[in-house]
Amino acid sequence: MVTEMDQNVNIDDVDTKMEKKSLIHCTDVNVFYDDKQALFNVDLNINEKEVTSLIGPSGCGKSTFIRCLNRMNDVIETCSFNGSIIINGQDIYDPEIDVVELRAKIGMVFQKPNPFPKSVFDNVAYGPKLHGRFLNKSDMNNKVEDSLIKAGLWDEIKDRLNEPGTALSGGQQQRLCIARAIAVDPEIILMDEPCSALDPIATARIEELIDELKVNYTIVIVTHSMQQAARVSQRTAFFHLGNLIEVGDTEKIFRSPDNEQTEAYVTGRYG
Amino acid sequence: MSEHIVSSFDGELNEISDGIITMGALVLEALKRVETTFKNNDHNLAQEIIDSDAQINDLGQSVENKVFNILASRQPMANDLRLVFSAVKMALYLERCGDMCKGISKRIVKGALNEAESEDTINHLINMSIKVHSNLALVLDDYGNKNCQNALKVWRSDSEIDSLYSGVLTEILNAIKSNPDAINTLVPLLFIARYLERVGDQATNIAEETHFIVTGEDLTDEEKIQIENETTF
Repeated sequence: MVTEMDQNVNIDDVDTKMEKKSLIHCTDVNVFYDDKQALFNVDLNINEKEVTSLIGPSGCGKSTFIRCLNRMNDVIETCSFNGSIIINGQDIYDPEIDVVELRAKIGMVFQKPNPFPKSVFDNVAYGPKLHGRFLNKSDMNNKVEDSLIKAGLWDEIKDRLNEPGTALSGGQQQRLCIARAIAVDPEIILMDEPCSALDPIATARIEELIDELKVNYTIVIVTHSMQQAARVSQRTAFFHLGNLIEVGDTEKIFRSPDNEQTEAYVTGRYG
Repeated sequence: MSEHIVSSFDGELNEISDGIITMGALVLEALKRVETTFKNNDHNLAQEIIDSDAQINDLGQSVENKVFNILASRQPMANDLRLVFSAVKMALYLERCGDMCKGISKRIVKGALNEAESEDTINHLINMSIKVHSNLALVLDDYGNKNCQNALKVWRSDSEIDSLYSGVLTEILNAIKSNPDAINTLVPLLFIARYLERVGDQATNIAEETHFIVTGEDLTDEEKIQIENETTF
């Protein structure tokens, strides 16, 4: 049976091998910090409801790129962008775009957990309140509970909702940040080295969570851990000196990449 | 490809490759000795082949241990991962080749060649062992040189070994039919031919493995079918 959704899919958007639809289309993306160019003509499509890893040495532009996807670079005065990023058919750099609404649709989790200096409950409720949703207390309670369940945190902290978010362990704080992002119903979650400040157990919990979240969300993750990229993502993109060198199925990138630079990097020969 | 940033990683990978190359050299030496025993029925040499199999087994175990450690400590990727993963299989293939040579030698020590009815059969076994040795040497050269230029050639020429095996098989079965009393002396020769044919098969497995290490791709079924069609007699 052909559904309405199927009929709306442009055949060019479908990765036939993975049978996934591209959700994010980046074309000729260039980013500058003052005169210094950080990204060069990056073309990259990101499939929906799967995990895409961005890997590469420090300073290669992967964090700059991920921050383009929800216009976080806008807050850097010296940063300028040209190119095109289309999400759901909408150019997110269109001057008419509501950036606050955009960032609700495209949540972000950072390297260091950054809960607000508020209670666990208020951390999660903050976004929905800001966007004027769930004014009814019962609905808000349900939303907070649902978000914490999805972030795999509910069972651990359901009796500590009034404690400060900053009182949680590092791994719990990071999952709280994920719950906070989820609470405003994003389509896309961006993660910039979400586990680099966490111990192996907390890292494993986040990776397990990423695996569960990809059923409902499109996830883009920056990671320095090749093994993490291999474990959590279906596609991997390798950046070097601001250029996208290679993108492909994660299995292919880590088993037999096409590009020599990629191979040198993933095998630890880069230098 | 350049060296790793962590130089000890290069050393560990080289130890694995060297282990495989040494195993290969020992198996080739055993095969050469098998050929010699076919020619002169030298039971002492056959016993030496039997005794030397333990060294091949020990090397195989050593390669496995090194692979285990490198997987745990280095988490290799891409061409390193392929080399490490394939080393386990290569060690197994070579260990089995050693076992086949040992099996042949045991039968020779028990007198399999003493009462060989036909000189032709022995000559065919010699031809088989030369061909098997040649194929194995080619793929091990590839492995040592980090290329796979002989992989398809070896895959193709395995059918020649199969053909030689079929010839020996037919010869021995006919001899048994014409002289049923000779069955006890002829059956060990059947086993010997079978062992050689299986060493030939292991050479094709090693050819596939070197192809995978170098290219990252398996020899496809289409390629194999094409080769089989080209070489069907």
